[in-house]
Amino acid sequence: MTRCLALLLLALACSGCAPVRPWERDALARPDMAWDPDPLGAQLGKHIQFSKEGSLDGGPGGGGGCGCN
Amino acid sequence: MRRKCASRAALRRARERRRQRRRLARRPSAMVRALTAAALALPGLASPAAADSPPTQARSDYHYSRYAEDAVESKKVAAGSERDRYEIDIHQFRFETGISDRVGFNIDITHEAMSGATPWYVTPGPNGTPVQVMTQATIEEARTDALLAGDYYFDRGKATLSGGVSSENDYLAFNGGLGGERQFNDKNTTLSAGIGASFDRITPEDTNKYPTRPHRENKQTYDVYLAASQVLGSATIVQTSVKYQLGTGYLSDPYKLAYVAGTPETDERPDLRNQISWLTRFRHHFRSAKASVHLDYMLYADDWKMYSHTFELAWYQTLFDRFLLVPSARYYSQSQAEFYAPYFTAPRGDGYRSSDYRLSPYGAYAFGIKAELPFEVWSLNWALTAAYDRYVSGADLALQKVDVENPGLVSYNLFTVGVTGRF
Repeated sequence: MTRCLALLLLALACSGCAPVRPWERDALARPDMAWDPDPLGAQLGKHIQFSKEGSLDGGPGGGGGCGCN
Repeated sequence: MRRKCASRAALRRARERRRQRRRLARRPSAMVRALTAAALALPGLASPAAADSPPTQARSDYHYSRYAEDAVESKKVAAGSERDRYEIDIHQFRFETGISDRVGFNIDITHEAMSGATPWYVTPGPNGTPVQVMTQATIEEARTDALLAGDYYFDRGKATLSGGVSSENDYLAFNGGLGGERQFNDKNTTLSAGIGASFDRITPEDTNKYPTRPHRENKQTYDVYLAASQVLGSATIVQTSVKYQLGTGYLSDPYKLAYVAGTPETDERPDLRNQISWLTRFRHHFRSAKASVHLDYMLYADDWKMYSHTFELAWYQTLFDRFLLVPSARYYSQSQAEFYAPYFTAPRGDGYRSSDYRLSPYGAYAFGIKAELPFEVWSLNWALTAAYDRYVSGADLALQKVDVENPGLVSYNLFTVGVTGRF
């Protein structure tokens, strides 16, 4: 785990040296590169996991409701 | 002399032309830059690292989903108990638009109609093997959830304010949140933070029939969220985020019982829960394959001594330049809460107890397939979506060894159809 974190930090640091320019971001701007390309699908998935599993979801926000059953 | 001067001037002009050509070769043309900027401004095309303007086109989504849990296996259910489980019809609607060059908002509305029996408590069966007792009557209930969020965009970031309400026959919750993000390093780095709170009131049904059920309880949750995303290359981005949630008040389940020394007793959990999740997400686009890969990993822990690991993988394949096919897979494994047991032979010293399968140790896998077909009608952009997901859970799927499986573990099918319009 520590090694993964170190690699991630290294990757972040390296990328900081050579920023990607706006005109090079066509791939990053694609809808299928969004964190949640399907907002409704992601929202329903989160609610089902909240109702049926024991963990807290990741990321911002949270749905309402009991999820008791 | 005049010829000498003319040749010097010609040389200067040639040198200047060469310099100009080198400058142009080093940077894209104004037209390319303008087109790229225009493409980035298209709704839905805003990259995660460049969300600095509201949508210029309104977008509306509608999804209908059918959620159906598998019936409990006959060997896992108590004699005479219901076997069929929950089925839910879900309608979701979302609308988002920009209302000025600085302000955008979105609204989400969900309505669910639920029916079926659910796990009630667990008893020891033959040889002590736990068997599930389901609720006696089929439950019929509905939930409506509405969430409104507004964004104010700055030159290099945005602020978000949200508020929502969720209403059920026996449950009412109000939630709100405030968040912000700021871009740095030529918009290659984005830092985000947010806070949220939810105030919930529970008024369980059938309290006359089941006098041990509470008549009215409250619970509050407060959360804090921090995230950093970084562009790693022209087709690669990563985000890591930490979310902490504090839950206080009535955190038990009023509809579940725990079997203690031969008697079904109320579900009793601590009235405080500290939860933390660490989510890391990775996105990469393969230009030659016209495909993007999504990889997510989440580590979770809480002070009920539960921890979990979640791995998610999705492949977004573009076919024939417009059709999108998305196969996905998910793996989840959790440990048990410290006060969980399928049933109890004696009361615990601290008075806590729960036999809820959601607090039991288990693992689960899920796979899904989604197809999206965009088309144009009356100069408007539409997309049709169809998706299927299958989720299976079991004690033998857990990362750790589990001695006794909770008989109430859930497996389900989820079918979704939807339509998206951009105006």
